[in-house]
Order: sequence, then C-alpha cells, then structure tokens
Amino acid sequence: MKKAIIFVVFAAFLFFAAYEIHPFGELDDSRMDDYIIENAQNETAANNVVTSVVFDYRGYDTLGEATVLFTAIAGALVVLRRVKNE
Amino acid sequence: MFEIGLILLSIFMVATAIIAVWFKDLLASTISLAAMSLLLSLYFYMLHAPDVAIAEAGVGACITTALLVITIKNTERMEEEGGEEE
Amino acid sequence: MSEERMSVIVTTIASLLFPFIFIFSFYVIMHGHLTPGGGFQGGAIGASAIVMLIVAYGAREVYKKASDEKLSIFESVGGLLFVLVGILGFILAASFLSNFLVGEPIFGNIPPFGSNPGELNSGGILPLLNIAVGMKVIGGLASVVLIMALAGGEKK
Repeated sequence: MKKAIIFVVFAAFLFFAAYEIHPFGELDDSRMDDYIIENAQNETAANNVVTSVVFDYRGYDTLGEATVLFTAIAGALVVLRRVKNE
Repeated sequence: MFEIGLILLSIFMVATAIIAVWFKDLLASTISLAAMSLLLSLYFYMLHAPDVAIAEAGVGACITTALLVITIKNTERMEEEGGEEE
Repeated sequence: MSEERMSVIVTTIASLLFPFIFIFSFYVIMHGHLTPGGGFQGGAIGASAIVMLIVAYGAREVYKKASDEKLSIFESVGGLLFVLVGILGFILAASFLSNFLVGEPIFGNIPPFGSNPGELNSGGILPLLNIAVGMKVIGGLASVVLIMALAGGEKK
C-alpha cells in the first residue's frame, strides 16, 4: 500500500516534469552560443568549435573527466592485478 | 522522412533491448546489446552529434561487448532456470 | 581466456585489420580540431583495436607484447602531458589551460571565419591536449580489458 502511494506520487511527478520540459531543439537564451560561434575560430584557432569548447573554454571539465577515468582504471588495476610472486 | 527514420530507429532500439532481456543465451543477448549500441550511434548521428556517435560506436559496440564476452567465457553461457520466480 | 587463440581465419583477419584500425585512430586523434572526433573518440577506437587482438589471440599473447604495466605507464604519461600543458599555459600566458599557442608559428595559424577545410597546423594547444587524452584513453581502456581477461583466465 505504501509502495503503491509512493509509486503513484513519483509517477505523477515524472509526468508533470515531462509535461513541463523545454521544447526539443529550441533555445530561449542564445548569448553564449552566439559568442562562441563568432569568436571560437579567432580565439582558439581551431575549425572544430565543439573541440574548442571541450578543450579550451571548458578545459577544466575535460581535466575532471580525465581524472575520473584515471581513478576508475587505477581501482580496476588494484583489484584485479596478479600477484607477481606466484 | 527524418521523423519517420527516427521513429523506426527508436522501435528497433526498443526491440533489441527487449530481446536482450528475453534471451536465455547470454551470448546472444550480448550481441543484441551491441546491435542496440550501434543503432544508438546511428541515432546520435541523425541528431547531428557525430562526436557522441563515434564515442558510442567505439565504447558501446566494441569494448562493452568484449568485456561481456570475456566475462561469459569465464562463467556460464546459459542463464539458470528458476531465476524468474517472484 | 587462457584457452589459447581462436582459429587461423580469425587471427589472420585480426592481424590484417589491426594496423588500419590503429592508423584510423591516430587520424581521428590528430584531426580532432578539424573534423568530428577528438582524443576520447580516437582513443576508444585504438583501444578497440587492442581489444580485438585480445579476443582473437588470447590475453597471454598480448601480455607478452604489451603488458598492463606498460599500458598504465602510457596512460600516466598522457595524464602528465595534459597537466603539463595546462601549467605551461599558467606560466606563459594568463591562466591554467589558456591557449598560449595562438599566433605562434607552430600550431598557431588562425583560420578564416566561417566554414573552410582548415589545415593541420592550427588549433593552438588543442592538438597537444588531444594527443594527451588519446594516450590516456588508449592505455586505460586497453589495460582494463587486458587485466580482466588475465584475471578471468587464472581462475580455471
């Protein structure tokens, strides 16, 4: 019973959120996009604006992603690495 | 035409996902998951996100499949009966 | 995966395809600032080439050529290169990761505005960062799959 109530409330919340969601493919504030599209080629000297956003304007995010990858792989190697002396 | 393609791709993706859950043969369901990843990368490409499409094709369709195949090779191939009672 | 390699057909095709896939991965990494793709995507393609060798030949054979220690050293060098380029930006220009190579003779040609084919000798520090991330992803994903295959083979 309690589970059913929680389920109904959560489903209603999700339906409300899906109803209120931003329309697909439309934007209401494009100042950032216009700035990047007009100045990216001059400021970063790269033709691919996506790469210039990922590595230059948002370089810290890429550094964090690299850190996440490094930590995950270090954990996997620590757990699974063979013992040398055997 | 574009919308019809997207809807067809969505239907195929849902079908492959359901097949992946349905099969008792885990190797077959892994291949089905790889097919879903490939269709998802095609979907990303149709939505004008080629970066994400390349990443999805590389990671989802190759490395995840290889990891699951290696796991299946070292455990059991067929799913046990009786797991679905509840 | 300790049970040896797969059949001759599979191993021959895998070793034929391996250099092409690897060269394509280098292409995606090096042209990251001109075409779709970049460090992570190219690295995933290169790691999938190594994973194909692991599946075809078995983990032991690959371990003799490229052990997981070597692959993780490769990954760490990539991470260090990324941070080093960032700190160079801190020293030579305004801030951490700032693009200090724009306008310089190497990697510094500024392309004209609008869509144009572009040239390889542009992009500032973006090619360096792409190479760093590509090394990181190749080493990381390949070493994870290799170590999982090795650990599974030991149990039997």
